[in-house]
Amino acid sequence: SEFKDDLSASPQLFTPMSPYDVDLPIQTTEDVLFGSQFNQPKELPTDFSVDLSFLPDITQDNKEQNLSEDGDEMQKELDGSISRNEDSSIFMDESSLSYPDATQPSPEASGVCPPLTPMTPMTPVTPASESSGIVPQLQNIVSTVNLACKLDLKNIALHARNAEYNPKRFAAVIMRIREPRTTALIFSSGKMVCTGAKSEEQSRLAARKYARVVQKLGFPAKFLDFKIQNMVGSCDVRFPIRLEGLVLTHQQFSSYEPELFPGLIYRMVKPRIVLLIFVSGKVVLTGAKERSEIYEAFENIYPILKGFKKAS
Amino acid sequence: TTWPNTDCFSEVAYSQSTGQKEQLSRCLQRGIRRVQDLCKVLQLPTVFEETAVSYFQRALQHPSFHLVSLEKKELLGGCCVFVTCRQHNWPLTMGTICSLLYAKQELFASVYLSLQKELGLSVPALSLGDLVKTHLNSFRLFQHAADVPAPFVEDKEKMVARTMQIVELASETWLVTGRHPVPIVTAAAFLSWQSLQPAARLTCTFTRFCKLAGVDLPPPAHLRLKELLEIFLRMASQLAWLRVFNMDKKTVVKHIGDLLQHRIFLLKNAFCLEDEEEHRAVALGEGSPRSPPAAGGTAQEEGCPSEGKRQREGGARPLLPPCLINPRKRLRTAAPSTSDSAITGNEPISDSEIEQYLRGPEEIRAFRKAKAW
Repeated sequence: SEFKDDLSASPQLFTPMSPYDVDLPIQTTEDVLFGSQFNQPKELPTDFSVDLSFLPDITQDNKEQNLSEDGDEMQKELDGSISRNEDSSIFMDESSLSYPDATQPSPEASGVCPPLTPMTPMTPVTPASESSGIVPQLQNIVSTVNLACKLDLKNIALHARNAEYNPKRFAAVIMRIREPRTTALIFSSGKMVCTGAKSEEQSRLAARKYARVVQKLGFPAKFLDFKIQNMVGSCDVRFPIRLEGLVLTHQQFSSYEPELFPGLIYRMVKPRIVLLIFVSGKVVLTGAKERSEIYEAFENIYPILKGFKKAS
Repeated sequence: TTWPNTDCFSEVAYSQSTGQKEQLSRCLQRGIRRVQDLCKVLQLPTVFEETAVSYFQRALQHPSFHLVSLEKKELLGGCCVFVTCRQHNWPLTMGTICSLLYAKQELFASVYLSLQKELGLSVPALSLGDLVKTHLNSFRLFQHAADVPAPFVEDKEKMVARTMQIVELASETWLVTGRHPVPIVTAAAFLSWQSLQPAARLTCTFTRFCKLAGVDLPPPAHLRLKELLEIFLRMASQLAWLRVFNMDKKTVVKHIGDLLQHRIFLLKNAFCLEDEEEHRAVALGEGSPRSPPAAGGTAQEEGCPSEGKRQREGGARPLLPPCLINPRKRLRTAAPSTSDSAITGNEPISDSEIEQYLRGPEEIRAFRKAKAW
């Protein structure tokens, strides 16, 4: 029997899902858990936007979603314009681009959700412009999706080869697929977390495959509200870094406690990214919802690290 | 209101007379008392106690700490004492606080980081110099004792001074960044002690030294010792009158005094400092064709293209953190191939691909039997 692949038609929607707004364990090579709340925004020397405020979690796009209860109708309307945006690999969320005067379409006024107009990105498409010449590599993507049906986890664990289920240890089925090489946590509520992918598209493809497995096991799984929750990238600046000096000059953003952890934890305000900086010059960037934030954060930190190296 | 002694009508603070203090919750009172006890055990100045208590009160009022477990609240008190000490450059290590509180270090770490974030506290880095002085205070080798051989007893001032110099040297040569501080101090103390009277002390092992001194020997200290000796050996290779000797890690200890005295000159010659523009430009120019040797990789390329000659002669190497000199095998997979990046996420998914993950009926029966569900 063939299941209609309605999963491919579902576009990405920017909906905050409260169970997943908490910080998920991030698979970094150093296996560190950290929160992503920040102090009040401080003045950062930037050469682009004047707007130094945080991005709130509810963006204009989220307000659109909150208008209609049933995600399915919205999906069909936005399908046309959004699927175009999905293909743009680097700059996906127009609302996060830094020009303060941009007028966003206001859905409340029209009552109907207009298609999102893709705006021309201000920053160049290739992130490695005249600055570092180094492009952080994405290492892990965490995404969530709502299968929108109650699941019998025991049943799934019995019928699926790639499933693990130890209810005493953890209240979800752990499922893995080989391609894209990922792991999924599937909960009885029908919510699912997908980890391990190396790109947003791979994460989405993997999530669809897990949903398909669940469908084939006889559950009426849908594919609602797919959302990238966290992205982790890493790169190497290729010179050693005096962390004890960096923590002195950037005290308000840095935490360096060699008794606890060998790396310096740098909480960048704009974009809101956490960087782990190591003496070897390797840098891990995490907390991004879009890859542009990773690239931007690295371009911000690189001159700091470089300038610092000369001074020491 | 007045005190029962009606000879003088002294003014009394409102909080003292109306029992406002009693209104502090029991939890808060207990916590404050614990903070005060901790300060007394550590023999901290009174001013520290007041600061730590005020941090504790502020923290407990904060929503993120108000409802945490009692265990965490206990640790919170310790964190406040710890932060206070750091802010006054009082070299208290987390290890010490954790052992006093019988706390798991991971839990302490998470409470500490939250405290730092929520209260917006800026905590200065641990001062290594102060740590040396404090740590050496607990060594038992400065006075004669029954179980300590006479030649092992050392003058405290001399030992502190030399240990400080060795720790500074370690810091300059990248042995300190990212590492636990105490093992470095312990290793430096051992080397400084040995080098002050090498004839009598060269035969004493690190383990025995720590036992005699009455201090712990943390596991990383052996590695730190090895790294320090390697640095000294390289420096020794640049001292003209030492080049005739075949130095090894035992014999170099005898000359640590000299090496420390001339350390600035020796460091410059023994290691190429990689911070020069010309070197980098040259390295980047010939970067790709040169395949990196097993140790050092690109960092080495950047550092010493023109030092190659000296490398062959005197064994000079780039001044880099050990993790770059001896990189571990890279487990990371290669960068994503072009086929990977062509994925849109909307590819069709074949039934057969999904079915490979599903169990057949016989398999299910066998699995059921095995699992006995």
